[in-house]
Amino acid sequence: MRNALAIARKELSIYFTTPWAYVVFTAMVGITAFFFVGSLSFFRTINELARNMGWARMPGEYQSFKNLTDGVIAPLWGVMIVITAIVAPILSMRLFAEEKRNKTFELLMTAPVRPIEIVLGKYLGGLVIVTTTLGLTILFPLILSLYGKSESGSALEWSTILLGYLGVLLYGASCLAVGMFVSSLTESQMLAGVITIIVMLALLLVKGLTQTADEPLRSIVGYLSFDSQLQNLMKGVLDLKAIVYVASISVFFIFLTHRSVEAQRWS
Amino acid sequence: MAMIEVKGLTKRYRDRVAVDGLSFEVGEGEILGFLGPNGAGKSTTMKILTGFLPASEGTAKVAGFDVFEHPMEVKRRIGYLPETPPLYAEMTVKAYLQFVATLKGVTRAQVKSELERVATRCGLAHVMGRVIQNLSKGYRQRVGIAQALLGSPPVLILDEPTEGLDPAQRAEVRQLIKELAGKHTVLLSTHILPEVQMTCQKVLILNQGKLVAYDEIQRLAQNAAQPGAAEPSLEEVFIKLTAA
Repeated sequence: MRNALAIARKELSIYFTTPWAYVVFTAMVGITAFFFVGSLSFFRTINELARNMGWARMPGEYQSFKNLTDGVIAPLWGVMIVITAIVAPILSMRLFAEEKRNKTFELLMTAPVRPIEIVLGKYLGGLVIVTTTLGLTILFPLILSLYGKSESGSALEWSTILLGYLGVLLYGASCLAVGMFVSSLTESQMLAGVITIIVMLALLLVKGLTQTADEPLRSIVGYLSFDSQLQNLMKGVLDLKAIVYVASISVFFIFLTHRSVEAQRWS
Repeated sequence: MAMIEVKGLTKRYRDRVAVDGLSFEVGEGEILGFLGPNGAGKSTTMKILTGFLPASEGTAKVAGFDVFEHPMEVKRRIGYLPETPPLYAEMTVKAYLQFVATLKGVTRAQVKSELERVATRCGLAHVMGRVIQNLSKGYRQRVGIAQALLGSPPVLILDEPTEGLDPAQRAEVRQLIKELAGKHTVLLSTHILPEVQMTCQKVLILNQGKLVAYDEIQRLAQNAAQPGAAEPSLEEVFIKLTAA
């Protein structure tokens, strides 16, 4: 375990001494901020309209704009998921490919360290950055809770928001695991990053294409594009099945990475 | 007791044989010079000994442990400097050596003194705070050697340790390796023949994956001598043996 932590610390120090961590933080916070402002002004427009017309006469899809949590924060989850699908592969692409290209992989593989410690250490290092990246966006709900008002006490439903964060984080963790596996297969960071981004974006898009498809195709695709499993969490419902499902995707790809690293000893 | 024991070692890549039925032994505290032209299989043999690559056939044992069956036991006993020093360019020398020391199981209390010992040995004390990518090639090579010495492993496998060093630094490294003899068993590969004469008792010459000579340096020269002619230099022996 000490070895895994040492490797995680090494990964973190490299993320922070190269521009990667800062690039990723800025991308996430900057793009989310843009959508946050948009979301907020749309929320105001709807609320002004509702004040004139009364909520009862508003169309059904606008009912979620009655409170800040559903009206401003919830629409951001989709944005954060798309950014994560791009940002997590950027973080994961270097994990193994860089070591192989720079020949430092030989150091790790000839040190008295078990392959599983290497894999877990690297995953942990990446996960800290992904968590921090997503964690920084808590700025936006914090701004709302400072300046927002609601009739029922607290401006935001924090339990709903934290479950949403759990959902996005699980999604980021699985992107990272998939990306780490792809990275363990190649020496080229660029290739690892691009392949992972394509896979993650394809999974996000394929769901839309099969909305009208027949069963069982629709269900199968629904399970494969695992972000759709997280919809309940983002609505604030504690969906254990989804948590287990998405977490097991991470575990599965960590296992595959371990196999891929272990295979070095046999090839 | 032989610290390194290699029997019938063969490594095949698809249709190419990199190492072909190699057998040799290195006794405790000995330095064996590993010679051969580029592509002779020196690095491949070293990679197999350190457990980085598997052999296609044959066995390799380090300190009595089979490299393939007990990789962890072997890795604990080996300090390895690969052909390309395995350095993280973004890290400082100190952070890098601390990281490697931890991986090698140096306890937290001993990391500091171990770093000091190795840094002094390799002449790195004054560059410990520098970022590795800003170091000259010679210093990078020294960091690579320092990394191999961390934790005082009984067996050192050094793949061209003097590569990229200037003559003065080369002499220093040679001196360092000589001092390591006795305490450590060293397998040393190099292109530079005088270096072998100065540091090693025994040499092993590989050509196209096959062992072509394995003897004490003096005997090698004596055996190759033509009757009546002067004893040839190691260079002449080397060229003759690897010409085929």
